[in-house]
Amino acid sequence: MSLHTLSMHDITSRFQKGEVSATEIVKHTFARIEKFEPSLDAFLSLCKERALEKAEKLDLKKKQNQPLGRLAAVPIAIKDNINVEGEITTCGSKFLTNFRAPFNATVIDLLEKEDAIIIGKTNCDEFAMGSSTENSAFKKTKNPWKLSCAPGGSSGGSAAAVAARIVPLALGSDTGGSIRQPGSLCGIIGFKPTYGWVSRYGLVAFGSSLDQIGPLTRSVADAALAMEVMGKHDKLDSTSIPKERPPLLSEMKKPVAGMTIGVPWQFLEDLEPEYKKSFEESIKVCKSLGMKVVDVDLSILKYSVAIYYIVATAEASTNLARFDGVRYGVRSKVAKTLDEVYDLSRQDGFGPEVKRRIILGTFVLSSGYQDAYYRKAQKVRSLVIKKYKEAFEKCDLIATPTSPFSAFELGSIKDPLQMYLADIYTIGADLAGLPAMSLPSGFTQDGRPIGLQLTGPQLGEPTVFQGAAAFEDATQFYKKIPELFV
Amino acid sequence: MKQEKTSPWEVIIGLEIHAELNTKAKLFSGAPNHFGDEPNSNITPVCTGMPGALPVLNKEAVRKAVQFGCAVGAQVAKFSQFDRKSYFYPDNPRNFQITQFTHPIVIGGKIDAMVDGEEKHFHIHHAHLEDDAGMLKHFNTFAGVDFNRAGVPLLEIVSEPCMHTPKEASAYASAVKAILDAIDASDCNMEEGSLRVDVNISVRKKGEPGFRNKTEIKNMNSFSNLEKALHYEIGHQIAEYEKNQDKNPLDVIPQATYRYDPDQGKTILMRRKEQADDYRYFPEPDLLPLVLTEDFIEEVRKGLPELPLQKEKRYVEELKLSPPTAFAIAYDKKIAVYFEECLKYCQNAKSVANWILIEFAGRLKDKNLTLAETAIGPCHVASLVKNIDNGTISGKIAKSIADDMVEAPGKDPEEIIKENLAYRPITDPAVIAPIVDSVISANMQSAQDFIAGRDRAFAFLVGQVMKKTGGSASPELVNSLLKQKISEITPK
Amino acid sequence: MPQITKETVGYIAKLARIACSEEQKEKILHDMKEILSYIELLNEVDTEGVEPCNIVLDCLTQTPLADDVCGPCMPKETFLKLAPDQIAGMVRVPEVLKQG
Repeated sequence: MSLHTLSMHDITSRFQKGEVSATEIVKHTFARIEKFEPSLDAFLSLCKERALEKAEKLDLKKKQNQPLGRLAAVPIAIKDNINVEGEITTCGSKFLTNFRAPFNATVIDLLEKEDAIIIGKTNCDEFAMGSSTENSAFKKTKNPWKLSCAPGGSSGGSAAAVAARIVPLALGSDTGGSIRQPGSLCGIIGFKPTYGWVSRYGLVAFGSSLDQIGPLTRSVADAALAMEVMGKHDKLDSTSIPKERPPLLSEMKKPVAGMTIGVPWQFLEDLEPEYKKSFEESIKVCKSLGMKVVDVDLSILKYSVAIYYIVATAEASTNLARFDGVRYGVRSKVAKTLDEVYDLSRQDGFGPEVKRRIILGTFVLSSGYQDAYYRKAQKVRSLVIKKYKEAFEKCDLIATPTSPFSAFELGSIKDPLQMYLADIYTIGADLAGLPAMSLPSGFTQDGRPIGLQLTGPQLGEPTVFQGAAAFEDATQFYKKIPELFV
Repeated sequence: MKQEKTSPWEVIIGLEIHAELNTKAKLFSGAPNHFGDEPNSNITPVCTGMPGALPVLNKEAVRKAVQFGCAVGAQVAKFSQFDRKSYFYPDNPRNFQITQFTHPIVIGGKIDAMVDGEEKHFHIHHAHLEDDAGMLKHFNTFAGVDFNRAGVPLLEIVSEPCMHTPKEASAYASAVKAILDAIDASDCNMEEGSLRVDVNISVRKKGEPGFRNKTEIKNMNSFSNLEKALHYEIGHQIAEYEKNQDKNPLDVIPQATYRYDPDQGKTILMRRKEQADDYRYFPEPDLLPLVLTEDFIEEVRKGLPELPLQKEKRYVEELKLSPPTAFAIAYDKKIAVYFEECLKYCQNAKSVANWILIEFAGRLKDKNLTLAETAIGPCHVASLVKNIDNGTISGKIAKSIADDMVEAPGKDPEEIIKENLAYRPITDPAVIAPIVDSVISANMQSAQDFIAGRDRAFAFLVGQVMKKTGGSASPELVNSLLKQKISEITPK
Repeated sequence: MPQITKETVGYIAKLARIACSEEQKEKILHDMKEILSYIELLNEVDTEGVEPCNIVLDCLTQTPLADDVCGPCMPKETFLKLAPDQIAGMVRVPEVLKQG
């Protein structure tokens, strides 16, 4: 079995047993990158030196019989909106082409402590704003299953790198579905934790009350391992959950017979027939595992896109104010006055989608409009949270498709609103801070992946992993590898 | 320009005081909160607005804010929240400040102050926590930004618009400073910028409903400049209104921000407020609500040191000082400490107060020093008073001794007395007795009055003897000789 | 649905400190109108007596407080290296109007 098809567990296990060296693993990874990157465009930068140095150190540690971390020698990729100290963090933006992060995100510290090896930074929609990775200022990542298609977004580079078997683990960030939707479109696992489960310190903020960092992997067990390493309380993040996190690897092995799945059938009425059929089949699988299926009312989610595009853009408009060309980033070369430093640097540095959202966000917070827009949206958000709580009184997990459609042709969605509506099934979990996972659940007629989304209640990680593991085991979709990347 | 009672104009003044809290670390990060270091040496990703940085609230800043709230009898909010205030400026690392707009930590409060000998009560609207901006150093065609100060905790104390004269404004500000000093919440140094006072001022005709446009004057660096700036602005506004009687009052004085130029003696326009700045306040999503328990607030309240007002009351009630004297001491921490130290050695509070506030203060004014800043110890001042009280020296001699103490700070007055013949009171009866005789003969009526029971007559006679001896006779001796001589007189 | 014009877009862009060409303003106006029209959907929802969402999670009730201790600083050199322009240890910007 080739190195690149191994799970995180298997890689680190083989390394720990001495069957393969860390240096071999890293070299193999970079060889695949050299071969496939030209057609994949998943990476914005590679950390070759850093990775080889780390691999050397690990091989030495192994030789000296020193204790090794849980992710020893596992090559990982990091979405380019997460700070890796000393490496360029562009967030997919022209603004930050020269920005070398002065500190590590907490998750990076946690992963490196467990001896993971950072291979490179992956492409994403600019400042995580988008659902196709086409908003990146640098390149358009391709979907490994069909290169003319988008991998989804905003964590498209990370999803593609995992689906193409370059790395077994890549980090993404999710604000409205940016881990799960590309996970679904690329036929892999994409998990967004409960809000506050993983530290946001070092993640370049987009929507502060929505953002979470999460793993993209090829198996539920790999995602669980990644989550056990990354899911720790962080005193540098005031919104970090102060409670002890339960283990996930052991929890997910628990049998699911008797578990109840809630399906908001009414909300899924507009699904296109091919996807509806696929979803219904997924539900059949759940039933066959002994899960009960009940109807739940989440019709309120029809407002979720509207809420999101007010709250997230409002928060983003202030989070992105710091990009002003003064302290870091690219300052306009022609700016002669302070006003020009601001106005021109931001005009040059931001792409059209980012500008659109900043202006929308500024508008909904502005005097005279804040009540009608921002406060109203936050009120409806309260109702969303309430409705989810009511639904979870009747069920353990909520199942929906992850996305209303599979991978679409690059450049085919030009209307911003149409793109926003791609997140209709994922946004709810962000608004309510709930854990949600997308897992492969089938393929379209022409072989593009379809994803099933399982959402859990607050702190319901164990339940989500439990349900997902059972579904994965029963369907084994993870075994299929995109032809070009076998 | 004095606000006369007959003036048809009424002045309305409100103060916003920003006090930098003297915590060790900044408000939202562990960067050192320290003044005067090399630029950009006390910074972290949080206070420089690095991408990915997040704020975490400093416990001690909260405690100091609560202390202040308790000290002014305000309501300390059990639930308060932080908000983002958006505006672009180079010293603002995130281009939004984290402040408290909707739910501040301290609500209401009262400030008592002495204005022209009269006790007045002023009201605080609220006080809230927020982070300070960095510092801009202006050069000719460019500016440099130093982020050392960015993120320092500020307690912004906003008054009700309840002051009506520059003196009231300055008294209020001094009283607030005294409280911050007493609870050790801030260095309160106006020159270093750890205490900043902004005023809002408008005028209107007496009895006029509503407010006319107010102007804001920022960053006066002393209380006396504060008063001067207000005097100027009041005069300016009234003159403008009187010049433009036929215009709509709201078109006469525009809402604008000024700074005071002490050299020119006037306020200079900084910028107009064409429209109210749209700060787009909304709750800070990176911070959860600040929740305080009743127990915590009580604990802080119980731990408060004696506050200036309590001190003042104690001085009046127990030490029998007059309210203005009591105020002057109680509201200046350094003087209060000095004064109370003196009282360990000598119990004549009134006299000690006089020597500190008037006699020594006057002598040190030219040297631009306060008593506490010199080497003249409280025990020395106490010793001086004691020697007057026990009759060793007269008041007049004491003044000369005080002059010497100022020239040679640290010298014990008893040393000075020993060394200087002229200060040693004449204790030889042979020298004093003839003088006493001559005074009595010249003032027989007074002597008779004293025999008849009028004690004031005796004091008069003592004074006459002291006058004749140039103040250098031992009061004790004069007293005893006079009594003796008078007793030998046959009462009429 | 509020009356949004190019002037509105211009004003908001000014607040947001993003220079926009006339063409860019046109495009943004067009997109904003579309999005705001979609957002009108929210007016269907009865939010009488509903509090705006403050914290999403039940277990996040109050902000943690940090001890008043100094931690490690970002080295001055690291910070200044990131700056587009610097002078005498400070970040340099073009002439600024004194705002106090």
